[in-house]
Amino acid sequence: MPELRKDPIIGRWVIIATERAKRPDQFTAQTQAGPAEKPCPFCEGKESETPQEIYSVRQNNSAPNKPGWQLRVVPSHAPFLRIEGDLERRGRGLYDLMNGIGAHEIVIESNQHIGNMADLSEEQISRIMTCYIDRIKDLERDERFKYVLVFKNYGWTAGGGRMQHSRSQLIATPVNLKRVKEELVGARAYYQYHERCVFCDLVKQELEFKERVITDIDGFIAVSPFAARFPFEVWILPKKHSCDFTSLDISMRLDLGRILKKVLLKLKKGLNDPPYNYVLHTAPFRRAKIGYWKSIDYDYHWHIEIIPRLTRVAGFEWGTGFYICPLPPEDAAKFLREVEVG
Amino acid sequence: MSDLRRDPIGGRWVIVDTDHPSKPEDFEYEQHILRGGVCPFCYGNESMTPPEIEVIRDPSTSPNTSGWQVRVVSNKFPALQIEGDLDRRGIGIYDMSNGVGAHEVLIETPYHEKDIPDLLNSEVENFLSMYCRRTQDLIKDKRFKYIMVFKNFGAAAGASLEHPHTQIIALPMVPKNVMEEIRGAHDYFDYRERCVFCDIIKQETQEKERIILENKYFLSFCPFVSRFAFEMWIMPKKHQGYFCQMSGEEVSALAAILKETIARLEKIFPHPSYNYIIHSSPINGEDSSEGYHWHIELMPKLTRVAGFEWGSGFYLVPTPPELAAKYLRG
Repeated sequence: MPELRKDPIIGRWVIIATERAKRPDQFTAQTQAGPAEKPCPFCEGKESETPQEIYSVRQNNSAPNKPGWQLRVVPSHAPFLRIEGDLERRGRGLYDLMNGIGAHEIVIESNQHIGNMADLSEEQISRIMTCYIDRIKDLERDERFKYVLVFKNYGWTAGGGRMQHSRSQLIATPVNLKRVKEELVGARAYYQYHERCVFCDLVKQELEFKERVITDIDGFIAVSPFAARFPFEVWILPKKHSCDFTSLDISMRLDLGRILKKVLLKLKKGLNDPPYNYVLHTAPFRRAKIGYWKSIDYDYHWHIEIIPRLTRVAGFEWGTGFYICPLPPEDAAKFLREVEVG
Repeated sequence: MSDLRRDPIGGRWVIVDTDHPSKPEDFEYEQHILRGGVCPFCYGNESMTPPEIEVIRDPSTSPNTSGWQVRVVSNKFPALQIEGDLDRRGIGIYDMSNGVGAHEVLIETPYHEKDIPDLLNSEVENFLSMYCRRTQDLIKDKRFKYIMVFKNFGAAAGASLEHPHTQIIALPMVPKNVMEEIRGAHDYFDYRERCVFCDIIKQETQEKERIILENKYFLSFCPFVSRFAFEMWIMPKKHQGYFCQMSGEEVSALAAILKETIARLEKIFPHPSYNYIIHSSPINGEDSSEGYHWHIELMPKLTRVAGFEWGSGFYLVPTPPELAAKYLRG
């Protein structure tokens, strides 16, 4: 019998279609070559082909926008949102709109032409985490912004574009994002009722049941969520409660680098290098607003959601917010647990 | 500078790229090309599907043989099952229920290779009236709170079979986005004592720039807050909560506008893949026909949705709906 499962945070129902019974190994990615790669503007030596860098980790004696770096952040050359100008809100009949103020930055994660973050070193991945933290803190100083969304598109079908050079994106927005808001509202409602963090409860229950745990190292666990929307969806959560990703200390950043590399390698090896997206879920900027953010330090818990793109998502799932997941997360977790990586 | 636009119903913000709008030739989409092979939905293969639930067929032919025009069968791999009582339970912090529901497949036409624009108006009318008949039948089952009618056309849009078909899923709960839409519409109604969809029709008719087509009963347009490039909505002009309340004359008007709207899309994007979903009021105690107004949302699959949309529920729209409507008007 198929099961209907409810996400404990935002209350979304999904169908776990247990009886469609494709085995986990039948989901492996088919090679979906996108259009041919263009010459890569993100490699070392091509600095003049990107906009001027905003941030970099580089050798002491090297000059900005020149070789000698390990990581660079540049503005997007085709930004969705622009940094210049004042925010103007207006109405038009029953519609509301505002101008597209914001920031859109690209994190170039390596000076070498490596496509998958899984193939970067743990230290490099932890450097990328530090870069996210530094950039989020810097963007927070801009009063117009409410949230910074950090995400990665790897591979053509995941929206990764033509260049297979490992990178992620940051978008600062002047409005709160719908998905983030839902999660915050859900977590707060749970806290008001139970006086506990729903994510802490989730971590506790998963550690106890073990069937959905993929790996548990140091301060983090990686799990297949109970109400997964996609086959092999993975969440990485810190075991210790914290609502704000930017408060992560140095040793935890190293731990995060380790678990992220391990999970991404398991996906790569077990599922034939699938395209994927990941998104960082963290607390919005908490500017003074009466009655707001009273309990967010206690009720919200940052985490990372990884979605391998193995099946086509049908439009009805977008339209209804109702997902059919063709693989029980328990089976996905078991499969990923058993994939051996170095 | 691009626009940030807020959906008046659900409150969702989207980014509309008015700066460098993508033109039709800018989209590298996957065309829907027929691959052939044995098709369980074609004449002569009726035994490959579960037996038919309802059918429009030549009276001289017998069930589960050739000679039908529209055929409804249970999904061979149902996401939900019709037998059993609803059993909700919890495990620790998690809530779940057994998968009680219905999952039917409506085969729209015997012609494997014909998309909606290739059919006669009367053929489109036939399968649309079958949507209504199946919905009315499923509503009688009091366990169901929502009937979802949707079409995935083309592999890129998630269709696993290429023969044109629609799926009907009856659910024991109301899906999340539908619930949000209904709450949004209700809040609007409470505040203004008007239906937000009726107001949208009024404003669109006045501004004209997003309208694609119009007939006596329906309007097809690119919504002001589109989530996807060339997204199209078809909405009845008269306030109506349920899809299955349409009169015969209305069904025939819907067939005409649906067919012509998709034909316009195919003229710009040959062999497109697309999805459409019928948004209708919930049923059996969850009804809300006063502030809600049924409509069809049609989404061509032209881009690859990326991490940004997943994580944020915030969409990037590369072609402003005003421009898309202009192309679609031709």
